[in-house]
Amino acid sequence: MWANVKGSGDAYPPPTGDEAREDDDEVDDDDGCDYKERLIASVKKEVKQLMEEAVTKKYVHEESSSVTSLCCAVESCLSQGLRRRAFGLFKTFSTTALLHKIAKSCPETEHISKLVQEIEAMDPNQALILHMKYLWIRLALYEKRLTKIIEYLVSNASSFYDRDSLVADSDYGSILSSLLVGPCALEFTRAKTADHYWTDPHADELVQRHRISSGRRSSSTCSRPAIINFKRSLNTSSDEASTGSFKSMATASVAKDYVESLHQNAKATLLYGKNNVHVLPKDVAEPMPGYLSLHQHIQTLTIKWTPNQLMNGYNEADEGEDIDKEAFWAYALNINVDEIVYVHCHQSRGEDSGGTVILVGQDGVQRPPIHFPEGGHMQQFLSCLETGLLPHGQLDPPLWSQRGIGKMFLWPKSMRRRILPSVMESVDETPIDYVFRIVSKSRHEEFAATHSILDFVRSTPRRAQLSSCSTTGSSDCSNKSLSIDQYPVESPLLLLQQQHAQNTSIEMVCSTMRRQIISRAFYGWLAYCRHLSTVRTHLSGLVHGRITPEMKADEEGLTKERWQLLNADGVLENATEFYRLVYFGGVQPDLRQEVWPYLLGHYAFGSTREERKKQDETCKHYYETTMSEWLAVDAIVQQREKEKTARAVAKLSSSGSNSGNDRTVRAADLDAGGELENEVFEDISDISDPGDLEFDDEQRQQQQQQHIHGQQQKQKHQQQQQQEEVSVSGMHLCVKPIPRAMKTSTDSGHVDEGENFNELDEEAEQEQQEKINAEPPIASCSTSTASSYETVGPGGAPHQPSDSRSRSVLSPEYLSADDLQLPEDEEEVKPPQQQQQQQQQAAVIITNASVDLANWERSPKAGNSQQMSPVQEQAAALDALQQPKSACASPASSNGGVYSSELLEQFGLNLHRIEKDVQRCDRNYWYFANENLDKLRNVISTYVWEHLDVGYMQGMCDLVAPLLVIFDDESLSYSCFCKLMERMIENFPSGGAMDMHFANMRSLIQILDSEMYDLMDSNGDYTHFYFCYRWFLLDFKRELVYDDVFATWEVIWAAKHIASGHFVLFLALALLETYRDIILSNSMDFTDVIKFFNEMAERHNAQAVLQLARSLVLQLQMIIENK
Amino acid sequence: MATRKKSLLKVIILGDSSVGKTSLMNQYVNKRFSNQYKATIGADFCTKEVVVNDRVVTMQIWDTAGQERFQSLGVAFYRGADCCVLVYDVTAPNSFKNLDSWRDEFLIQASPRDPEHFPFVVLGNKVDLDNRQVSTRRAQQWCQSKNDIPYYETSAKEGINVEMAFQTIAKNALEQEAEAEVINDFPDQIILNSQNNRPGNPDNCQC
Repeated sequence: MWANVKGSGDAYPPPTGDEAREDDDEVDDDDGCDYKERLIASVKKEVKQLMEEAVTKKYVHEESSSVTSLCCAVESCLSQGLRRRAFGLFKTFSTTALLHKIAKSCPETEHISKLVQEIEAMDPNQALILHMKYLWIRLALYEKRLTKIIEYLVSNASSFYDRDSLVADSDYGSILSSLLVGPCALEFTRAKTADHYWTDPHADELVQRHRISSGRRSSSTCSRPAIINFKRSLNTSSDEASTGSFKSMATASVAKDYVESLHQNAKATLLYGKNNVHVLPKDVAEPMPGYLSLHQHIQTLTIKWTPNQLMNGYNEADEGEDIDKEAFWAYALNINVDEIVYVHCHQSRGEDSGGTVILVGQDGVQRPPIHFPEGGHMQQFLSCLETGLLPHGQLDPPLWSQRGIGKMFLWPKSMRRRILPSVMESVDETPIDYVFRIVSKSRHEEFAATHSILDFVRSTPRRAQLSSCSTTGSSDCSNKSLSIDQYPVESPLLLLQQQHAQNTSIEMVCSTMRRQIISRAFYGWLAYCRHLSTVRTHLSGLVHGRITPEMKADEEGLTKERWQLLNADGVLENATEFYRLVYFGGVQPDLRQEVWPYLLGHYAFGSTREERKKQDETCKHYYETTMSEWLAVDAIVQQREKEKTARAVAKLSSSGSNSGNDRTVRAADLDAGGELENEVFEDISDISDPGDLEFDDEQRQQQQQQHIHGQQQKQKHQQQQQQEEVSVSGMHLCVKPIPRAMKTSTDSGHVDEGENFNELDEEAEQEQQEKINAEPPIASCSTSTASSYETVGPGGAPHQPSDSRSRSVLSPEYLSADDLQLPEDEEEVKPPQQQQQQQQQAAVIITNASVDLANWERSPKAGNSQQMSPVQEQAAALDALQQPKSACASPASSNGGVYSSELLEQFGLNLHRIEKDVQRCDRNYWYFANENLDKLRNVISTYVWEHLDVGYMQGMCDLVAPLLVIFDDESLSYSCFCKLMERMIENFPSGGAMDMHFANMRSLIQILDSEMYDLMDSNGDYTHFYFCYRWFLLDFKRELVYDDVFATWEVIWAAKHIASGHFVLFLALALLETYRDIILSNSMDFTDVIKFFNEMAERHNAQAVLQLARSLVLQLQMIIENK
Repeated sequence: MATRKKSLLKVIILGDSSVGKTSLMNQYVNKRFSNQYKATIGADFCTKEVVVNDRVVTMQIWDTAGQERFQSLGVAFYRGADCCVLVYDVTAPNSFKNLDSWRDEFLIQASPRDPEHFPFVVLGNKVDLDNRQVSTRRAQQWCQSKNDIPYYETSAKEGINVEMAFQTIAKNALEQEAEAEVINDFPDQIILNSQNNRPGNPDNCQC
């Protein structure tokens, strides 16, 4: 080992052998050098990354991920070979301990060590987070002292490190310190520039940031309770408005509390919030951007403005910036609206340039002007302020009643007309300034008289009050005087429409106020009713009217005991209780296998054990039968595939040939989903379409023969047998499938064909006999049967049609009829002409050959098969030669084993897709890691075979997989999947449910979270809600880990019977609400949201989301019930 | 917003399912290859900053679902694209044949201003595999016939040509952007009905 280390480890006094051995260094001696090499390489890489970032962006943000990864790399270098024991130090953060240890002797370190201790002392929880992010290394880097510290460590390595450690190594140690010289010279910034938004932080980082700033560090990401504005309760809040100066609040923890207080919380309601509002504080030259917010406490209304510098990155405050910070705190505004008498609004004429609001206090002192950015924000602020003043105060003159305001405030068109419908009037003369007086209750004792009404108003949701403004807008009165000295207070009630002079007695004013309040309350109520009726109309369909009582606290879902109680004697009767338990508490994992079939509607409630067993058997039987059907087709398809591949490869290898190139060009122009070789038959297959059946047999034969000749010339490398075969298949495929074999054993279903057969002329019969002679025995052996199908497959294995004529005119009626006519033994006796050639098909497994008629009738019918069957019957009476094509179009399984080319093509394509998706379905999950993929494939293929019109669609794999994991039984999974698909199929592109979901989501958000809705509305892109696409398509399967998928699915299924048939909507809403603050605070647009949720996949706290979803359902139910 | 518009290149990756769209994207953006990518549902995207013509631009690479059934979703994602990457699998001739319909579909749904000169790039992926079935010549011919689309043969697994291909993509997308800016006052695009299945391409969709 020592020899391997470059340089001289011996330069340092070797530690005693005991120490070295006792050290918990996990690096094996043998590859120690290699490991060090790798450590250094990773540092190198990160340094390079960081420097590149610095060069391309001109700055590096402190929170940049490259900083974090560099710190991580340095940390691992420093912890390698560290003699932890020497310090008797903590297990995890030993490098931090090392830092403190050397602080005494190294001045560089001392500073950092102090910083770290300060931060740690600040807030234990917060420190924990910072710790994880390599706090001291980070700080040292920002302070540009990291190199020095590491140099110190390297030169004193003997006291802290093992002799063979990286730091103690003279080469690696100095490499490490010199590598860090570059990063230490960088300037790090915390400011967010316009470019910074481009770094597009990862979802993790967003969540992390949010967690820090929202003060919910210890809890999970989803701990945020539902904050839905209609549930806002005013009477729970208590006044904790901080009124003092912020100069004393320099410490980060206070700052954090302060920023937290800016969020919506239990104590104060956030009425308005807007970032990048400029304020010009005293003794500052330039207006500073900041966050303006309006908070409602129980009695007071507070306007706060916080400079951006305080909003961002306060949590990592270090000494260097404290001075600045203090200055910023001095700038912050915290204004109690009670102290404000006048609100002056200024807006420049004729353009939407934002606006300025100046608040004037009782003492006549002006507060610093607040400049709103353009886009109607001042108007919004005023309307929120007005709303917030209710019921104890109001703006005078009221915002909503002033026609003139509309003229003054150029409401942007995009803004929803919440306040005044008439504001969109044309602008003739625009006033520039406007003054409102804030009338507060304290100066009007008589307000108490209207107390009952005030109570009503208070209990009305905020939103209703907002909309009341719009309702009353139409009934407003004319107004002339806008000055503050006058009191042109009008009542919106027409009955009370009287003008009062400005010098009326105070009593008169108060009575006017009262009326106004009453009318306002009335209109508020009216608007609320209207709002509710809208909600009812649009959303009542989403939830059940009846509210099921929630579970008591001691209940915990469907446990084993409860299941045994419910499922006494194996009969489950009490469906409601069953659903209720599942909905509120989920199913105990080991019960799922038993319980899910009920949830999915596979087992009926009240069914006995025997009934279920029988049902299972029937299902199994049916499943196996169906499977045997498609397996036969699969065999053919695979064979065709093989040949196709062989041909394509051959073609590629002989790419010099002309024909190859010709074909290439043609192939590109052709859209036919078929194989290349089908091009050759394009013309002829067109002719043989059902529409062109006037050809008589002779013509057809001629054409075919010509065609064969042509083909022979073209494809000399192919065997003649193959050519003939292919030519036949080009027109129609006559294949005897396995089901036919089964069919022969059950004659009940074939009476029709039998009769038909009797009507056939003898010649035809003769041909048929010949044909049959060419057929191998079918019922005898399933394996050989499969191979026989292949012989007639298109482009399939070579076979020798002794009579190509008979083959070409073959119709399915004949085939089925033959099956009937020929005794089974006769078939078996017949010499299998081609069997010898067909050895390769042993893969097909026929699980059950006995089929009853019912199953046949349920067999898949592709496209036009339904219409075809009567035609077929007629055709049997007619000359069968005229009908070959139409018959071929019918699915083989139902009518005697003819697979049309289209069918093969179609199913083959589906199989191909299924295979590709199965191969990449959750391979990292233990169940699908190595085995069970076949089961998945079988279930899906069976479903697709049964629903060929639907076909395979990506996503089906994801839906089958959890079922299969739970049941571990193909036929049960299949049956349940069919049940599941009854609902899910509509979500796929062929159905219309997805658009409906999106529309419903839109309405739900509009009603339940207007702030979010406004964000989405402002990003026009947003409104199609495609970020929910995968959620709905797969019932959140991709969003959650498997265990959570199980839990979520069963709740969705139970919810249908308990609370809502559209529970997925509420789940989606719950997911959105969980991250609502992150979405809003980063004002994410459509792409950001997609990225965020894609990155958050499988990281959600499913139980919290479920709980939130249930409470959302309940809330909507309450609204609709108007309780 | 103005700066944002300029420095963002939106690139759409299209092609049949399991030709390696997700793998290509991840190989390019994260320099990683995994056998365990799942079939993409809906759409995802990655961003990467690249330097093209001495300009730092952010490439927003959209990875889409491969099954043509899901094309109707496209309109939401294709909008505003600056370049379209058509991917096929050199071992799957059908995926090559479908390039035509992918291209047409993209042009219909994204409705770029100048469909004739909209930048496409064709990638023949999985060249690391042995059982190649589409010849380079054939692919090149197709690309030439479509207004000389640049063509690269890549392997997302081995990282062959990926960097180069995307560099071309960025370059072409940037050129497209530059042209687009000249005629920026174009009215909003007409959104084709995305709800109903489109009648076109019956051959292509036989499910």
